[in-house]
Amino acid sequence: MRKFLSAKALIGLALVLTVVAVAILSPLFIAPERATQMVMSARLQPPSLAYPLGTDQLGRDLLARVMLGAQTSLMIAVLAVGMSIVLGLPLGIISGYFGGRIDNVLMRIIDALLSFPALLLALTISAVLGPNLQNTIIAIGIAFTPFLARIVRGEALRVVQMPYVEAARAAGTRDGQMILRHILPNIMPALIVQATISLAFAVLAEAALSFLGLGTQPPMASWGLMIQASRQFLDLAPWTALVPGAALAITILGLNLLGDVLRDVLDPRVR
Amino acid sequence: MLDQTPQQPLVSIENLRVEFDGESGPITGVKDVSFTVNPGETVCVVGESGSGKSVTSLSLLRLVEFGGGRIVSGRLWFRPGEGEAIDLAQMPAEKMIDLRGDRIGMIFQEPMTALNPVFTIGRQLTDGLRRHRGLSAAEADARAIELLREVRLPEPEGRLRQYPHELSGGMRQRVVIAMAMACRPQLLIADEPTTALDVTIQAEILGLIKRLKREFGMAVLFITHDMAVVAQLADRVVVMRHGEKVEEGPVERIFADPQADYTKALLASVPKLGEMRGKPAPEPLRIPGAPEPAAPKPASRSETGRAVLSVKGLTTRFPVKGGLMRRVVANVHAVENVSFELGHGETLALVGESGCGKSTTARSILRLVEPTSGDVVMDGQDILGLDAGGLRRARRNMQMVFQDPFASLNPFMRLRKQVAEPILNFDLARGAELEDRIAFLFDRVGLPRDFMRRFPHELSGGQRQRVAIARALSVNPKLIIADEAVSALDVSVQAQVLNLLMELQAEFGLSYLFISHDMAVVERVSHRVGVMYLGRIVEIGSRADIFEDPRHSYTRALLAGVPIADPTKRMLKESIEFKPLPSPVFPVGEVRPAPVYDEVAPGHFVLENE
Amino acid sequence: MAYLVSRLMSVALTLFLISIVTFGITNILPGDVAMMIMGTQSNPEALEGLRQSLGLNDPLLVQYGRWIGGMLSGNWGASLLFNEPIAPLIAQKVLASGLIVVMTMIMALAFAIPLGVWAARHRDRWQDTTSSTVALLGLSMPDFFIGIMLILLFAAGLGWLPSSGFVDPSEDFLGAVRHAFMPSLALALGLMAHLTRMTRSAMMGILNQEFIRVARAKGLPERTVVWGYALPNAIGPVMTVAGLQIGYLFGSIIVIESLFSYTGMGWLTYQALLNRDIPLIQSTIFVIAAVVMLVNLAVDLLYRVIDPRIRLG
Repeated sequence: MRKFLSAKALIGLALVLTVVAVAILSPLFIAPERATQMVMSARLQPPSLAYPLGTDQLGRDLLARVMLGAQTSLMIAVLAVGMSIVLGLPLGIISGYFGGRIDNVLMRIIDALLSFPALLLALTISAVLGPNLQNTIIAIGIAFTPFLARIVRGEALRVVQMPYVEAARAAGTRDGQMILRHILPNIMPALIVQATISLAFAVLAEAALSFLGLGTQPPMASWGLMIQASRQFLDLAPWTALVPGAALAITILGLNLLGDVLRDVLDPRVR
Repeated sequence: MLDQTPQQPLVSIENLRVEFDGESGPITGVKDVSFTVNPGETVCVVGESGSGKSVTSLSLLRLVEFGGGRIVSGRLWFRPGEGEAIDLAQMPAEKMIDLRGDRIGMIFQEPMTALNPVFTIGRQLTDGLRRHRGLSAAEADARAIELLREVRLPEPEGRLRQYPHELSGGMRQRVVIAMAMACRPQLLIADEPTTALDVTIQAEILGLIKRLKREFGMAVLFITHDMAVVAQLADRVVVMRHGEKVEEGPVERIFADPQADYTKALLASVPKLGEMRGKPAPEPLRIPGAPEPAAPKPASRSETGRAVLSVKGLTTRFPVKGGLMRRVVANVHAVENVSFELGHGETLALVGESGCGKSTTARSILRLVEPTSGDVVMDGQDILGLDAGGLRRARRNMQMVFQDPFASLNPFMRLRKQVAEPILNFDLARGAELEDRIAFLFDRVGLPRDFMRRFPHELSGGQRQRVAIARALSVNPKLIIADEAVSALDVSVQAQVLNLLMELQAEFGLSYLFISHDMAVVERVSHRVGVMYLGRIVEIGSRADIFEDPRHSYTRALLAGVPIADPTKRMLKESIEFKPLPSPVFPVGEVRPAPVYDEVAPGHFVLENE
Repeated sequence: MAYLVSRLMSVALTLFLISIVTFGITNILPGDVAMMIMGTQSNPEALEGLRQSLGLNDPLLVQYGRWIGGMLSGNWGASLLFNEPIAPLIAQKVLASGLIVVMTMIMALAFAIPLGVWAARHRDRWQDTTSSTVALLGLSMPDFFIGIMLILLFAAGLGWLPSSGFVDPSEDFLGAVRHAFMPSLALALGLMAHLTRMTRSAMMGILNQEFIRVARAKGLPERTVVWGYALPNAIGPVMTVAGLQIGYLFGSIIVIESLFSYTGMGWLTYQALLNRDIPLIQSTIFVIAAVVMLVNLAVDLLYRVIDPRIRLG
C-alpha cells in the first residue's frame, strides 16, 4: 500500500489524471473554435498573455489546440489498446492454456508478425486502408496485437504450471471454468501493467503516424500533426514544436510512471 | 568434544540488536542476543523461520548490511589470538573484507545457486586465495586441488576447468565448503548448509564438516532448524525465537532436560527416528499445552476385504526430445513397474530421495501426468481406462494436497470459494447446504470461520495447508494423496498439521498415500512404507518391517543417513564417500527387466534384481 | 550442430510466413496498379491490357507464386516511384541504415551498461534515483521530438552538424558519420534509457542471488563483486534485450530518417508507403522483417555461445 504513495506513483498519477482531465473537460472550458480559428494577423506569435502558449502558422491558439489534441491522442490510444486486448487476449490464453499443436501454430504466426516492427505494421496498414481517424485506430490496434498476445501467452503458461491449477484439475474443474476462475484473474496484473505501457506506446505511435502524414489528417488537432506542421518554422518559432512535444512527453512519462508503479505493486513474483 | 583448558571465547556476541527497514517502519530481526563460541567448539543455533538465527550469523560477518539490515547496538567480539580482541560491529568495511574468507568462513543454504554460473570452479576457488594469500596463479591452482581433495571431491584436477552446472548439488556444496576453508579459518559459519540436500548427501556433508573441524581445530557456528542435526553435531545449543535467545546450554542437557517452554514444545514436535518402535499404529505427536489428539487405528484390511487403491506395474516415462526433427531420443524412466496396495483407513508412505519418482507416481495415479502403462484400480474402478468425463468423475474419490502451501491456492480467490470448488464441480451441494458444509470443513481443520472470507496471502503457511486439506476433504474422498504436504512447514506447524491428518483419518476412515523424504515423519504417520529408488520400489512392508528390519541396501543407506535426534547416539560417519547418482535416462526402446521381489516376511517385500 | 540446422529450418519457415503477411497486406490495397502506372485518364482498354500483362487478373495464389519466385531469383521488379530496379536500390539504402543502426547501438550500449550497473550498485540512493529518472525521461520523449530538438540545438542553433542528407560511407566516411550522427543520437537516447533500466533490473536480480553472498563472504571487495562477478551474468540478458530492441529500432528509423531526410531504408519505405508504390512496399517491408528476424537469430546464437550452461549442455 505504501508503494501507492511513493513520489513516483503520485507524480505519475498526477500527470495522467491531468491529461485525462484536459482531454475530457477541455471542450467545456474552451470552445472548440478557438483551436481551429485561424487568425491571420496573429501567426507564429510567441507565448503571451493573449495566447499563453503562442500561435501556430495559421494563427491558431496553441493552448487550445494542444488541449484538443489530448482528446484525440487519448481516445485513439485507448481504443487501439482496447482493440489489441480484444484480439490478443483470447489468442494468448488459448495458446498458453491448451499448448501443443495450437500453441505451435499460433506462435509461429505471431513470431512472423513480431518480425515486423510495430510502427512499420501500423504505417503499412494505415497506408493500405487510407489514413484517417478510424483507420489509425485499427492500424495501431492490429499492430500491437501480436506483442500483447505473446505477453498474455507467457503469463498463461506461467499460471498453468502453478499447483493451484493442478489442484483445480484434480478437483474436477473443466477447461472453461478453469480459464475463468483461475487463469484469467491471475494474468490480470500483468495485463494491466502491459496495457498501461501499451497506452504510452499507442500515444507515441499515433503521434508518429500523424507526423508522417499517415495518421490523423488536418484539420484535426493532433500532437503529431502539430509537430509536423512546425518543421518548417523551427528557427522562427520553436514553440510550435516544443508545445506539442512537451505535451507528448508529459503524457507518455505519466503513463510510464504509472506502469512502473503498477508493476511494482502487482508483480506476482513479489507477492 | 572439548578437551582444552578453558580460555577466552573465540566469539562473544553481546546484546546484539539488528533492525531492518520495513514498509511501515523498522522491523527488529534480532532483539537482544548474547552467546559465545569457544575455539574448536560447535555451537548450533536452532529456531524456526523468523527466529533471527540467520540474521545473527550474517551480522558476524557484517553481511546483513547488504540485505538492508542495520546493527543498531551490541558488540561482536572476535578474539583470533593472544590478546587480540576485535569488535566486528565497529569494524570499517575495508577491514571486514580482509577477515571474510580468511579468519572467518561462511557457507550458505542453496548449493545450486551458490556458485557463479559463468565462471569455472577453479576461478572461484582461487580468487579468494589469491586475494588473501597473494598466491600466483599456479600456486593457487595447486592449493585449489588440495582443497578439493580435502573435501573428498573425486577427480579434483579436472574439476578446476568445469562449470558449476556440471556438478550436482552435493558436489557444489563441497566446493563451497572448500572455498570457505581455503585460508584455514578459525571459525566456520554454516547457515542451514544441508537443508536443501537429500538425506544421504546431507549425511555426507555433515560428516565432512565434522572431520574438517576435527582436523583443523576450527570452531563451527551451525544454524539449523533441524533438531536431529543439532543432536548429532553440537557441543552447545542456542535456541532462538522471534529474535531472542530462549535457552542455551550443552547439547545433552538441552535434550534431556529442557528448561524453557518453547524448547520443550520444539523438542516434542520433532518426530524422532526410533520412537515408534513397538507401536501398532501411527501416533500423533504430544505437543505440550495442546489437547490430546485422536489417533488412527491400526490397519485392518479384513473389514472390507478390498483395497482402496491397487496399483500394478505402473510405469511412467517422459520423452527426451532432441536432434534434427525434435524426435524422441531417449526416455526418462521416472516410474518403473511400481506395484502396491492401499487399504481403507490406512496410510502408505512412499519415501525416497529427490528424483526417485515418488511424486510422479502420485501424479500418475491421479492421471495429472499420463502413465505409459500399468493398472490403477481405485475402489474397483479402472482409472487408466477412463475417458475424460469418467476420469473427472472418478477424481471425486481421490484428492491431493500439494507441497507448496502458497502456490497451491489461487491468490485471487477467496478461501471460501476455493474450498467450495470441488463441491461445486461435482454439484454435490448448493446454497445454504454448501455454506454449512464449508463452515463445517473450516471447523474441522481448526481454522476460525472468518478466515473463509480471506485471501491466501493473509494466512501463514500452516494455515494455508489446512485450507488445502479442507479443500481435499470437501468431497469426502476415499483417498488423499499428500505430496510432501508438510515439508515446507516449520517444525511446530508441521507437528500440528500431521496431527490433524491423523485425526481426520481416525474420524473419517481416510486412506493416505503419503509422499515424503523425511524418514522420521514417515515413521510417525504410516501403517505401511514403500522405499523408492530410481523409479522402482526397492522395499515395501509394514512400518515396523522397514524401520526395524530394513533389508535392501538402499533402505539401510537411507536409514543410516538420517540424523537421530539424540545426542547420546552419535552416528555421523566422517568418512562417507561421495557416490554419484545413476541416471534415469535410457535410450528409446530399452526394456527394463520386471522387478522380482523376495517376500522375507509376510507383507515385507525386498527387490532382488536391479 | 543439429540445433543449428533445426534453427535454420525454423528461420526458413518464418521467412515464408513473413512473405505471406507482406503479400497479404499489400494486396488489400484498394488502388489499381495499372491506373497508377498509366494515369487515371488512360484508355480503359489500354489499362485492361496492362493489367493482363502485369498478371493482375490472375488468382492471388498465382500472383503470390510469381512474386516469391521473383524474390528468390533476385528479380525484385521495378519501383513505380523511382522507375529503377528495386534490388540495387534497397541494397544501397540498407547500408545507409546499417550505419545508423550500428552507431545507435554502440552509443546506447556504451552508456547504458555502465549507468545501469552503477544504479543497481547504489540501489535506492541518489545515484539510482537520478539515473532512473533521467532514463524515464529519455524513454518518454518520442524519438522524432528528440530529433527535432537536436536539430534545433546542433544544426539551427550551433551549426555543428548537418540537419539532413546522406553521404555514402565508401566515398566519404567521416562525412557519412557526420550525417548519420544526429539521427543515431536521436534514436540512441531513447534506446539508452530503455537499456539502462534493463541493465539495472538485471543487475538487481543478480545481486540478490546466493553466489553474490558467497563471493562477499570470501572477502572480495564490493567493486569486484559488482563489476567482476555480477556484470558478466547480466551481459547475456541485456544483449538479448538489445537485440530485440533492434526490431523496435527499425520502426523508429522510418520516422527519424524522414525527419532528417536521410535516404536509408526507413526513408525508402516511407516514400513507398506514401506513394503506394506496391512493388517497393512489398520489397522494403519484407527486407525489414527479414533483417529483424535474422538479427534475433544472431542474438540467440550469440547467447548460446556466451552462456557456458548452454554451450556445454
